[in-house]
Amino acid sequence: MSAQPRKGLFGWLDRRYDLAPILAFMQHKEVPLGAHPMFWYYLGGLTLFFFSVQIATGILLLVYYQVGDQTSYESIHFITTKVPFGWLVRSIHCWSAHLMILCLVLHMLSTMMLKAYRQPRELTWLTGFSLFGLALCFGFSGYLLPWNELAFFATAVGTDMVKAVPWIGHTLLEVLRGGPDVSGNTLYRFFALHVVVLPLIVGAVIAIHLIFIQKQGMAPPIGHTVTRGMKFFPDFALRDGLLWLICLILLATLAVFLPYGPGIPGIEWELGKKANPLAPAYPGIKPEWYFLWVYQLLKEFPPHILGMEGSQAALLVATVLFGVWALLPFLDRRAAREEPSPIFTDLGAAALLFVAFLTMKAWDIGGGGGPQPDAHAVARTCAIFVLVAGLAATALRRIVWKHTWFLFTAAELLHVALHGLVGMSYLAAGAIGFVAAAVGVVLTGARAQRTAAAGDRS
Amino acid sequence: MIALALASALAAAAEVPAPLKPFLEAKDKDGTPILSPQDRAKLDQMPEHTRQLVATAIDNVILGSPRHLKILLSLDLPNPAMEMVLQDNCILCHSDPGNQKPKNLFSPDPAKQGSNPLLNLREFTSDVHFRRGLSCSGCHGGTPHDEAMVKEIAERWPKEEERHKDRSWIPNFCARCHADPGFMRGFNPTLPTDQLAKYRGSTHGILLLQQKDSRAAQCASCHGVHDIRGPKNRTSRVFAQRIPETCGTCHANAQYMAGLKIESGEPIPTSQLAEFKTSVHGKALLEKGDLNAPSCAGCHGSHSGLPKTAASVAQVCRTCHANNGQLFDGSPHKAAFEQHKWSECTQCHGKHAIAKPTDALVGNQPGTLCADCHTKFAKDNPTCAATSAHFRAELDKLATGRAQAAPQVDLLAERGLDVEPLTRALTELDEGLVQTRSSIHAFNLVTFDKAAKPGAEALDNAHKSIAAAQGDYRFRKRGLLAAIGFMSLLALGIGLKVRDIERRRRS
Repeated sequence: MSAQPRKGLFGWLDRRYDLAPILAFMQHKEVPLGAHPMFWYYLGGLTLFFFSVQIATGILLLVYYQVGDQTSYESIHFITTKVPFGWLVRSIHCWSAHLMILCLVLHMLSTMMLKAYRQPRELTWLTGFSLFGLALCFGFSGYLLPWNELAFFATAVGTDMVKAVPWIGHTLLEVLRGGPDVSGNTLYRFFALHVVVLPLIVGAVIAIHLIFIQKQGMAPPIGHTVTRGMKFFPDFALRDGLLWLICLILLATLAVFLPYGPGIPGIEWELGKKANPLAPAYPGIKPEWYFLWVYQLLKEFPPHILGMEGSQAALLVATVLFGVWALLPFLDRRAAREEPSPIFTDLGAAALLFVAFLTMKAWDIGGGGGPQPDAHAVARTCAIFVLVAGLAATALRRIVWKHTWFLFTAAELLHVALHGLVGMSYLAAGAIGFVAAAVGVVLTGARAQRTAAAGDRS
Repeated sequence: MIALALASALAAAAEVPAPLKPFLEAKDKDGTPILSPQDRAKLDQMPEHTRQLVATAIDNVILGSPRHLKILLSLDLPNPAMEMVLQDNCILCHSDPGNQKPKNLFSPDPAKQGSNPLLNLREFTSDVHFRRGLSCSGCHGGTPHDEAMVKEIAERWPKEEERHKDRSWIPNFCARCHADPGFMRGFNPTLPTDQLAKYRGSTHGILLLQQKDSRAAQCASCHGVHDIRGPKNRTSRVFAQRIPETCGTCHANAQYMAGLKIESGEPIPTSQLAEFKTSVHGKALLEKGDLNAPSCAGCHGSHSGLPKTAASVAQVCRTCHANNGQLFDGSPHKAAFEQHKWSECTQCHGKHAIAKPTDALVGNQPGTLCADCHTKFAKDNPTCAATSAHFRAELDKLATGRAQAAPQVDLLAERGLDVEPLTRALTELDEGLVQTRSSIHAFNLVTFDKAAKPGAEALDNAHKSIAAAQGDYRFRKRGLLAAIGFMSLLALGIGLKVRDIERRRRS
């Protein structure tokens, strides 16, 4: 008995475009259920939700925003003070931007820790990593658009880092700024990037990322055989919708009660004064929170080191770290063989501590809150926080998840302790931590080889 | 080309005038060259003709030793000034420690050399006269080319013991140039030439020129001797911020001022400098660096310095506080003050220790200026008492309103509300308060109320702006509550649906 042809709009479309295979796919699509929390599966969708909010509020802002060094600040001021609900739209746009980056980072961390990047999802990881980079570009380009004092100087400092790129640094800087200095030209090209170029690229990459996910499905944990799953439609989708709704309530509440952000450096968007290129830069200018660790890393380097400029060396370190993160699926061969890879789990934990320590230092936690915080007090306080958090996380990993590999975490905690508690310079302490980790890896490798050889003999 | 340029540069560097060579090679007892590499570099950087002047001075034995040359180089003079020094025998001879006793030696550091502190060579070469081309002979006589002290130098000035005892010759001596418009036009056409005329009529001038009291300040007392600077130069003794200390050199010295009296026969007080430093003018000038604030000369004049009479004080204050003066002139107090021969402004505000006036001065309660004075001189005047009470009440209303509204700016701004109307209203209120406070000088209810009206309106606008912003905030919270309610209902619906699906799947 042949199936009854459907009626209505779906039937009309089905007759023309044969939607049955898509419908069948949706009906069969499942989310793996297992021993791990389901929560991690929602983070990608949540990031997409915040991105959609960005698109919607961004379009609304565009209705009144006028780019130009004589109009940008004025139009944003007009939006927030005169346009009905303009303040709400701008506030939601800013909050959503930060929450999107936060969800994106958490999504990537969960993917990293659960080894969901492993074969055959290498390209899904790479497209996701590209989306992360593009989101940072979104944040950086959007930061300048209000053309206020903070945005101007933060962009001047941020773009200046490009100079550290060997050989072509100065040319790149001029291309980025549209001249030797941050000016109206910079504003025009950042605007074009923010509202045209990046949305087009991000849209395309999101499409590819989603196609990969639909094609391959969500990754189950390592060693976990999928025996059952949750129907994506409607079970998982309804839960997704519910979470999005809760997040929308959260967004609206934050926008009403904290319209300019929580007031923490790097998470604030009060308009303040208009940018004045002739005014001197004031102290304490900090980038957005997700760039803070790079900002602090730059500060930790001396003007010259190992024949390089300090900023070049710092950016080299950051580039290597990002490179390792991007190439994880290809480096982690054990995960590709569906075997646990505790080394990479520990590497991830150590990287988190590394970034957390630098970010806290950039916030001058423990510095007394004055214009000239005590650097030693900051380092000590941040070190105590990170050591406590690191030791607690290590204990948790050992007791709850039965982890046995802690070498990188130990090296990073040694680095933090030597710098913050002993008073050694950040780089010297880092070098000792790095050497300790390298020696540990070599000794562990040698012991593993001996054990393997003994096993072969027996 | 490059080779040629290099060769010519090397040749120029190598061209050391013959008389200079022994100086360059001269060594100390311990074998170190007297002229250091830095001194050598300074000589190398001189133009050829300047270096030649050095050689000529050495040749003429007036630049007597390498040490003498080292002293001149240590002044780091620009080339034109150095050329002037090298062609002035007075300076060359009197700056040579090997040729002069400390009493007559011009030194870059007199304290170190033990020479006369007035003979500071570094200061002299920065003196306004030297910088205009007037050197020693301009005042002392002779010419820069004289090779010995000529007779004219001794004749131009009074004998040493006389000139120190009686300083009355100084104003006339300086006036030889400074009272001659034709001569002064050649140097500074904008500089007045009436200083001597003014000085003659001033208290200082009368004391010195008529009463022959050499304690009285003359030109050199305020301007210095060999280190004179223009009044706009921050290092000058007569720069606005330095004038109080300059005047205080004598006027804050009780011992020096002993025996000097004011018109009433009372001794001249010496507390003015200390009082001035605590005053609103002193703080503005000395602490805030506001050069528009008056120093001593701002009120007393400089060359025509006179103590103020009752009438002139009020006119001096009006120079800056014109509006208040005009209001006072039309006030009922004008006649009363004249009757008492009071000097208007200073009667309420004081003289050298003028404090920033506060609203607490006004009112009909004991302790206020109005009440205390009226209790003493114009008792039982209910109209005045009511007027001063009204002044105070209105001022308090505006000032308290301002103090209560101001913190709302930050509070409302933090909530993301539009505070522009409030900020504008507060700015208008500030201006209104200034006008209201100023209008008190009319001591007239109608004038006061008219002046207070814009301030009161601004305060009203500020209250309205605050109310509007608070209303907007309430609307936002209610709107949020409604949105949360709606979205919560939607979420509840989805939650129930999820539970229903789960239940069906289990069954």
